[in-house]
Amino acid sequence: MLQYDVVIVGAGGAGMNAALSASKDSNLRVAVLSKIYPTRSHTGAAQGGINAAMGFRDPTDSIDKHFRDTVKGSDFLADQDAVEFFTTYMPDIIRELDYYGVPFSRDEQGRVAQRPFGGASSPRTCYSADKTGHVILHTLFEQCLKNGVKFFDDWCLLSLVVENGKLEGLVAMDMRSGEIHPILAKSVVIATGGFGRIYWSRTTNAFNMTGDGTAACFEAGIPLKDPEFVQFHPTGLAGTGILMSEACRGEGGYLYNNKGDRFMSEYAPSKMELAPRDVVSRSIELEIRAGRGFGEGMTAHVLMDLRHLGKEKIMERLPQVRELALDFESVDIIKEPVGVRASCHYMMGGIHVQDYKTCATPVEGIHAAGECSCVSIHGANRLGGNSVADVVFFGKYAGLGAKETAQNRSLGNPSLVSAAANEWMSKFSRMRTKTTGNNLFEIRNRMAEAMWYNVGIFRTEKNMVQALETINELLEAYQDTFIGDSSVKYNTAFIHYVEVGNLLKLAKAVAMGAIARKESRGSHSREDYTERNDAEFLKHTLIHKEGDLYRLDYSPVKITKYQPEARAY
Amino acid sequence: MRTITFKINRFDGDRAWTQAYDLNHEEGKTLLWALTKIREEQDPTLNFTSACRHAICGSCAVRINGHAHLICKTSLDEILEIYKSDELAFAPQANFDVVRDLVVDWRPMTERLETVKPWLIPTEDGAADTGFIQTPKDFHKIASPTDCIQCGICASECEQLAENENFLAPFILNRAYRFAVDSRDAAPSEHIRPAFENDLWKCLHCHACVSQCPKGIRLDREIAYLRQESMKMGEVDNAGARHAYAFHDDVQSKGRLNETTLPLKTEGMLKTMRRIPFALRMVRTGKLNPLHFPKAVNGIDGVRRIYAKVKGGKK
Amino acid sequence: MKYGFFPGCTLESAAYELMISTKKVAEALGIELIELDGWTCCGASHIQDISEDLSLAINARNIALGEKLNAPIMTVCNTCTLMLRTAKQRLDEDEEAKARANESLKEAGLEYQGSSDVTHMLWMLLADYGLENLKKKVKRPLKGLKVANFYGCHIIRPPQIMGFESHLNPQSMEMVAVALGAEVVDFDQRLACCGFHAVFPAEKEVMQKTGVNCLSAKDAGADVLVTPCPLCQMQLDMYQPDAQKRFEESIKMPILHLPQLIGLALGFEPEELGIKRHIIDAIPVLSEKLSSK
Repeated sequence: MLQYDVVIVGAGGAGMNAALSASKDSNLRVAVLSKIYPTRSHTGAAQGGINAAMGFRDPTDSIDKHFRDTVKGSDFLADQDAVEFFTTYMPDIIRELDYYGVPFSRDEQGRVAQRPFGGASSPRTCYSADKTGHVILHTLFEQCLKNGVKFFDDWCLLSLVVENGKLEGLVAMDMRSGEIHPILAKSVVIATGGFGRIYWSRTTNAFNMTGDGTAACFEAGIPLKDPEFVQFHPTGLAGTGILMSEACRGEGGYLYNNKGDRFMSEYAPSKMELAPRDVVSRSIELEIRAGRGFGEGMTAHVLMDLRHLGKEKIMERLPQVRELALDFESVDIIKEPVGVRASCHYMMGGIHVQDYKTCATPVEGIHAAGECSCVSIHGANRLGGNSVADVVFFGKYAGLGAKETAQNRSLGNPSLVSAAANEWMSKFSRMRTKTTGNNLFEIRNRMAEAMWYNVGIFRTEKNMVQALETINELLEAYQDTFIGDSSVKYNTAFIHYVEVGNLLKLAKAVAMGAIARKESRGSHSREDYTERNDAEFLKHTLIHKEGDLYRLDYSPVKITKYQPEARAY
Repeated sequence: MRTITFKINRFDGDRAWTQAYDLNHEEGKTLLWALTKIREEQDPTLNFTSACRHAICGSCAVRINGHAHLICKTSLDEILEIYKSDELAFAPQANFDVVRDLVVDWRPMTERLETVKPWLIPTEDGAADTGFIQTPKDFHKIASPTDCIQCGICASECEQLAENENFLAPFILNRAYRFAVDSRDAAPSEHIRPAFENDLWKCLHCHACVSQCPKGIRLDREIAYLRQESMKMGEVDNAGARHAYAFHDDVQSKGRLNETTLPLKTEGMLKTMRRIPFALRMVRTGKLNPLHFPKAVNGIDGVRRIYAKVKGGKK
Repeated sequence: MKYGFFPGCTLESAAYELMISTKKVAEALGIELIELDGWTCCGASHIQDISEDLSLAINARNIALGEKLNAPIMTVCNTCTLMLRTAKQRLDEDEEAKARANESLKEAGLEYQGSSDVTHMLWMLLADYGLENLKKKVKRPLKGLKVANFYGCHIIRPPQIMGFESHLNPQSMEMVAVALGAEVVDFDQRLACCGFHAVFPAEKEVMQKTGVNCLSAKDAGADVLVTPCPLCQMQLDMYQPDAQKRFEESIKMPILHLPQLIGLALGFEPEELGIKRHIIDAIPVLSEKLSSK
């Protein structure tokens, strides 16, 4: 049976930085499992930058301002002790990344360049042109190669084996051979990213963002925290939902409606296009609803205009973004405005992390970092540039935490982990040999539709309850699915079956959390409860899965320095 | 109704075959749209890798009619127009082992990548707790090379790699270049020497890699730079370097290449003797006149002064 | 129609038949070719491996010689075309590079201005001369001659610099062959590399490619393989016996320069076009397939 001291699931920014940290103890055997080749991870899609109060672009910037902006951006739902920890040590992370070789853009003094970003009181988003996530991902991969980190790619996590609140091991499939392996581990870091694919048809997320680690933790008894907080990025390309970085607005882009007005003046007169994402997304949807948009249906949109930036600035700071508009909308942003509309982008909610310094979850031995986790530092809405920062930062601390956990634990019970693996082997065998059943893609697409229309940017009780009913129906239909591929080797139809199962569970939690939260806060916007209600809802949602029962609970928000106040931009 | 036929190379780990799928044409679509539609509506056993859909993850390189493309950003209509056909042939990337259908194995490539130490070897000017200072000009040198998404298209297109598995795929040479020109790297030779030792001079200059790189990276210029640097590092005694210097010296001396002395200068006397049958054939048909020595061109003084001026200005 | 003619080194000796056939074809078509006075080797991608600045300067000089004639520059070698066009693109787009190059050119009493385009005879025929006009000059249609068109890398790649037609599916040679009355044969090495530039450091691989390229044309039923580049012609012709050693199947594929193919259609005899200089004898198949005028 495979045995490791630390197993990291997911090889994006969080996973790889966790691997580098855990590897600092050379006596520990560390392994990274990844469903895909590491450099394909979604960290690479992040474009605009990584936040840290370096004070280069604006010497009056400070850690405290970053702290305050993040808390305000979170609509006061973030745990402030964690946010303070994060913002305090982020500048160190930037220096580490620079030392690793990340090719940051530079200012005239040769320091890491910073740009303005949404919801930031000072320009502190460190960047590399418009491909910051990509270069950080590749640099971390290079460092992993340098340090001989062991990768198992094309290995998909199936489940975590937990007994009496303690980690025993995990079960994963080696996709190439089709073999399902029990793996013993003293500690595990889950870093599998978000689950934006619950909105399958309109998301900036890659196809693999199906919340496998989140769902596995959910099954293993770790609650999901704040799942209802879904960030819709305002500027996804009209036709496809593909991301057009916030950097477009950071570098000075404008948003126009069909009357030729910069409509953000109505919704955020001070920050305009650089209001936080939830504010801008809602504004765009309201404009489209009021008939001031262009086009119709799923591809209705407003226009983003970058022409006034000029060719030189665009080629220097936004070259890849320009390629995207050219390739996917046949628009050259140097010459024309481009159609944009909100697209599901990020999950603030996720695996409940209870110790922000080690990223430990309530299950002994399981740590979580990156988008899959909820510490919470983003609360009800995440600021742009804070996610790349989050994954690298908490990836590091989760790795250090998992290292220490492994030093103080022993391996789990092999027969428990074997039994779990055997169950999966039976399931795989059954699914391969089934010849009838419901169509998996139909189930998935119906889920996506229900989520986008009923648990999207604007929510009402009636619609969300309907969505929840649909999801419950789909969960039922999912019990009898036909995957259509009987192959043992590299059966991605089976993997997709597992992924859709994960998405359905998470979608249900999102809907439940959204229905129960009778207020509007951050990205959770209800037309029937339009105000923020601190008296009743200044708390984190926790959804527990106990067998087939989903139980909802709440936990307090840690408030230290910044008392909730009205959130206006 | 216009039907497009996709002839796809299939492989299940044991057996290989070609399978044809028909799709109704739709405007404004990409090749990824087509494969995804086939998979979801016709054949869930069809395998290919894709993730981001917007040309940053590098997952979806596939050969279409023999040439590798990132299918997420390749317009179906453009490809049909180029080949003037409603039939397209899909195959996995060349020079990779196939896992299943259009899915290839990256592990061997990653191992080859490690040959050039693809990580920063930091200079003493930086430290983990301070980072580095780097000028915008120096950043520009690494801006384009770091666009590389390791899609493997260049490796698939490479005509040398197809014949010689010891050759380092262009994206690996790109990594060597990327660190060799990074002002924060203390040891460019650590990246360049392994490239030189792994058949750097065997690149055919066919430009197949450059032509298909989705990020427009000038791999040809990078490879030329690595060769220049390898010579500066002292590696001048090999066929490739000597061949280059033969041209360099001939142009300075006469302005034209001396084809008779070229093999001698490149390979030395012993190896050139092997080529005697070759040379005799050429003399027989009149192609080679061993007594032909080019005269210096008009204006050769100017050429020599240009050489001097260019070299004078160099570091 | 007047062009500054840049022959390239190989036309002086090993590919002298290309010099002969180019001049004969140009004369027959009424195209004036004025050889650039004092042109030097283009560097052939080898000087580029020693110094980019040097290759830029010597090619700026070559183009400046053409500019003095107030004419566009025409070549008949793929690599020369690529080297000159690469230099030209850099000089036209990068002010600093142009200034530096001109400082060097001043030493030779020359200046690069950017007023002369660089083209290849194949492009010239399609873009400037016109296929319809070419057809009119055909005295002996090449009916029955099956032609495999081997482009050679440097006339199509990279598209950023060459860009005359699609590098994935170029058709210019096929169009010319059809205009001359020949039958075109499709073969899978049509866009492959001949390997000439690496024949010394990579002999084994290049000989393998030489054999494969020729056999591919043969298996497709070609009588001759035609190429617009003397380097490809030399590689596939001169080295064919060496490549043969690695293959059991007999290759024997005659390799023609594009102007030779055109010359045959314009009524010239193979001997007049220097075809007797080839290593692989093309005379038998041409005698068999070509009608008398």
